Amino acid sequence: MIKIFIDEKAIEVEESTTILKAAEHAGIDIPHLCYHAAFPPEGTCRMCLVEIEGLPSLELACSTQVKDGMKVSTKSERVIEARKGVLEFLLAEHPPDCPICDKAGECSLQDYYEEYGLFENQFNEFKEKREKKVKIGKNLIHDMERCILCRRCVRFLKEVTKTQELGVFERGIHSEINILDGVLVDNNYSGNLAEICPVGAMTDSDFRFKTRTWFLKKGESICPLCSRGCSIFIEYHEGFSRFTLPKRVYRIRSRENHKVNGFWICDIGRYGYSYIDENRIDKIIVNNKEGGETITWEKAVVFLAEKIKRLYHMKKTSRIALILNTWLSNEELFLINKIFRNDLSVENIYFTDPPEGEEDDLLLTSERSPNKRGAREIGFDLMPIDLETLADKTDLLLIFGSFMFDQFNLAEIKSALDHIETKILFTSHSNGMNSLADIVLPMSLIAEKEGSLTNVDGIVQNFSPALAAQGECQPEWKVLVNLAKELKINFKFYSQFSSSEAIFHEMKKEISFFEKKSE
Amino acid sequence: MEEKLLTQHFGIENLFKVDVYLKHSGYQAVKKALKEMKPSEIMDEVKAANLRGRGGAGFPAGVKWGFVPQDIDKPKYLCVNADEGEPGTFKDRYIMSHNPHLLLEGIIIASFAVGIQKGFVYIRGEYETIALRFEQAISEANKEGFLGKNILGTGFDLDVFVHRGAGSYICGEETALLESLEGKRGNPRLKPPFPASVGLFGCPTVINNVETLSNVPQIILNGAKWFCQKGLPKDGGTRIFGVSGMVKNPGIYELPMGTSLKDIIFKHAGGMKDGKKLKAVIPGGMSAPILTADEINIKMDFDSLMDAKSMLGSAAIIVIDEDTSILDVLKVITKFYSHESCGQCTPCRVGNSWINKIVKRIAGGKGNKEDIDNIIRLASNMMGKTLCPLGDAAAMPILSITQKFRKEIESYIGN
Repeated sequence: MIKIFIDEKAIEVEESTTILKAAEHAGIDIPHLCYHAAFPPEGTCRMCLVEIEGLPSLELACSTQVKDGMKVSTKSERVIEARKGVLEFLLAEHPPDCPICDKAGECSLQDYYEEYGLFENQFNEFKEKREKKVKIGKNLIHDMERCILCRRCVRFLKEVTKTQELGVFERGIHSEINILDGVLVDNNYSGNLAEICPVGAMTDSDFRFKTRTWFLKKGESICPLCSRGCSIFIEYHEGFSRFTLPKRVYRIRSRENHKVNGFWICDIGRYGYSYIDENRIDKIIVNNKEGGETITWEKAVVFLAEKIKRLYHMKKTSRIALILNTWLSNEELFLINKIFRNDLSVENIYFTDPPEGEEDDLLLTSERSPNKRGAREIGFDLMPIDLETLADKTDLLLIFGSFMFDQFNLAEIKSALDHIETKILFTSHSNGMNSLADIVLPMSLIAEKEGSLTNVDGIVQNFSPALAAQGECQPEWKVLVNLAKELKINFKFYSQFSSSEAIFHEMKKEISFFEKKSE
Repeated sequence: MEEKLLTQHFGIENLFKVDVYLKHSGYQAVKKALKEMKPSEIMDEVKAANLRGRGGAGFPAGVKWGFVPQDIDKPKYLCVNADEGEPGTFKDRYIMSHNPHLLLEGIIIASFAVGIQKGFVYIRGEYETIALRFEQAISEANKEGFLGKNILGTGFDLDVFVHRGAGSYICGEETALLESLEGKRGNPRLKPPFPASVGLFGCPTVINNVETLSNVPQIILNGAKWFCQKGLPKDGGTRIFGVSGMVKNPGIYELPMGTSLKDIIFKHAGGMKDGKKLKAVIPGGMSAPILTADEINIKMDFDSLMDAKSMLGSAAIIVIDEDTSILDVLKVITKFYSHESCGQCTPCRVGNSWINKIVKRIAGGKGNKEDIDNIIRLASNMMGKTLCPLGDAAAMPILSITQKFRKEIESYIGN
C-alpha cells in the first residue's frame, strides 16, 4: 500500500491502482466518458485529465498509475479549463436533442455540462449531418449525430460477447459506428449497449419515447428468469394523480454484483418483465357451485386448514398433494418442507417449472427458474408431475404457480383436476387454470416480496421488495406461516416467523448448507 | 563544399543495384559490425555519436535501442518508418530509391545491435515504385548473404519485409504504425507502455526513421567522434534538408547539422523565385511553428530551433513568398489535419474540423471578429491534451500563424 494525495486528501491505495480508481475509493468523482470499469482504460475522451504536481502537462486519471507520494489535483483551474474544453468540443458537434432524447436525465454529457459547462455556444459553423435512426440491433436504435465516439459499445462486443458486430468506419470527424458485414447486433447481451452508452446515441427501442427517466423509481431485486440470479434494478413509474398508467415497470437495468453477474444482465432478463404487470390477479377468487363470491384471507386460510386437519385426523394425509415450482424462495420451500413433509407426512410433492432452454457461456443458465438449487438443498426431489397418480390418489391439491400449462394442455389438466375434491391455487397471474380451482389465492412476485434464493452456483442471495404488492396479494411465506399457525400442530414454532429473515435464521440452524452462507 | 555522408554517391548510375553498391565500398560497415564488434559496442558507438531521430521527434537513436529489454522471452522487431507523411518532407524517398542498400546496411547493423531477427519497412502506399525497388534490393541482399540465415557466417539471422501503407498520415506516428502493421485501424496507442517494451504484437520493438538508420553505417566505419565533428557536438552528422516553395532550386540538400537557415534558402536553394520577397518560412515540416522573414538568421539544429519556439522536425523547409496569402496557408494546414485526424480523441477530432470550418468561412468572406480569438482558444485546448502528437502537430502551426500573422488574417474579416 502507498500513500497519495488527491485534492490534499491523503489516501492509502494499492500500488497498481489508477488515479481514477483511487479517487473512486476515496469518494472523489473524476468526470469521465470513455472509461468503464469493465474494460481496460481507453484514454480517448480526454475528460478525466488531472493535474499532477511536478508534471508539466495534464495526465489522464483513467490510465495513469499512482506513485508513492503523488499529489493530484482534480479541481485546479487548469483541470476545470481542460474539462470545459473537452465539453465544448463534444457539444460543438452534438445535436440539441435533449427534448426528444431518451437519455435525458441520466446523460453524462448533460450532467457534466451542468457542472462544468453553462457557457455560451461559440460554434458558428454547420454541424456534421448523420443518420439518426439506424436500426443497429434487434432492440437497438443508433443515432450517429449524438455519438461521442467513446467506443464503449465496440469494446463491449469485442471483450464481453466476443461477437464484434460493431466497428468504427471512416476517420476523423467523419468517424461513425456501424455494423460490420451487415450483421445486426443480435446477441443475448445487446441491451447492455444502451446502458453503457454515456449519451443517447445507442438507445433501447423497448424504452424509446415511453417515459422520462426522472419519473422512474429504482427498486433492487433479483432476476427470476433463470438460475443465475443476476442483480437487477426494476425501474417503475408510480403513475400520475390524474390518471393511472397501464403498467408500473418500464425497464429492467443491471445492478453491479461481482459475485454473480458482474456488470451485465442478459436480454432475456432485461426484456422479459411484462409478467410483472400483465394479467395479474389481485383478489381472492372463489369458484363454488353458487357462482363466484369472494372471501377474506382469514376465511381462506381457515377453510384450507380445516380441509387439512380433517385428513390429518383421519390419518389420510397421503391424500394431500402439492404441485410446487422453483420460483418459490428458500424460506417458502423450507416452510412447505416443514409443514407438509415433516408435520403432515405428505409424500406426493411434485414440481413444475418453465421448460429448460439453452445456456450461453456468459450468464444465462439452462434452468429457467431461480431456485432449483435451493429446493435441492432443502431436500426436495423435484419429482415431475404424474397426472394419473395425481388424479387417482388426491383429495386435496395445493398448486403453487401456473407453470403446469407449459407441460400439459387445459383439457388434460381439467380432466385430472375433476377427479380431485378440493383444489387450491396459489398464483400471481390469471389464466385458464383459475377457473379449475376452488379457491384462487393472489400471490405477490419476487419483485414484490422478501426472501432469499439460491443460484446455480450455490450463492444464496437476499432480496427485498422492489415494488409494492398490489390489492390483496400476499407472499407465499406469510400465507404458509398463517396456515401453519391455524393447523396448531406446532404453533409455537411457527409463531416466531414474523419476517422471512426469521425463517432464514431457523434454516441456518437446521440445514448445514445454509449455515455456511452469510449474506 | 560540404562533405556529404548519405547522398555522396547519388549521382552514380544504378547505385541501387547491389553489384554497383559493392563497388563503392558497399556493405563494409555490415562486415565490420557483425564480424568485429559486439552488439553492446555498436549501441555505445551510436549513443556516443549523438545520432538524433530524423523523423521529426529527434529522440537519440542509441538511447532508444537501449530501452529494449535484453533478457526477455519474446521476439524483438525493428520497424523502419518510411511513411514520410509530414507535408514538405521528401528526403527518405531519395535514400530508398537511389541508395536502398545504405538503408539496408543501417537496418542490419541496428538489428544486430538490439538482437532483432525481423524487420518491417512501413512505406507510405503512394511510394509504389520505391517500395518495389526496395523489395528488389532486399532480394539482392538476400542473394549476397547479407540477409537471411547465418549472415556472413556469424549465426545472426535477419529477414526484412516491406509493408505498404494505405494513405494515412497518422500511420507515421509510431504506435499507429504498429497498429496498421498488425492489420488494424491506424489508431495511436496510449503510452505507456512504450514500443520498446510493448510494441509490435506485444513484443519489444524499435522504430526508427529511414534517414536515422542510413547514418548508422558511417558511424560504424568512422566512429562516433568523427560523426560529431561533421555536425554539432550534441547533434552529430548531417541533415538532408528538403527545400520547397517559392525558391529557384527546390530539392534536397545534405548539409551539416547547424547550417544557417538563411544560407540554405539563399545560398544553396538559389534564393527566392522570380525575385519575390520572403514572407515566412516553415522550418521543419508543416507542424513546425512558422518563422517570419525576420527570424531566418537561425542555425538549423534541434536545440536552436527549440529555443526559437519552433522545431527542426523533419528538416523540411517550406518557403512562402509575399504573394502567397497566409490565409491560404492556414486553409491548407487546417484542411490537412482535419482530414488526417484518426478521430479517436475528442480535441483533435472536433478541434481540427471546427478550426478548418472557421478558416473556410473566413476565406469565403463571412468571417467574424471573434473568429481569430476562437481559433487560438480552440487550438490551445488541443495543445497537450490529445492522445498522440497529431493534436500538437496541428495546434502549433495554427497558433504560430494566427499569432504572428494576425493582421493579415484580420484583413480578410469583413467590417
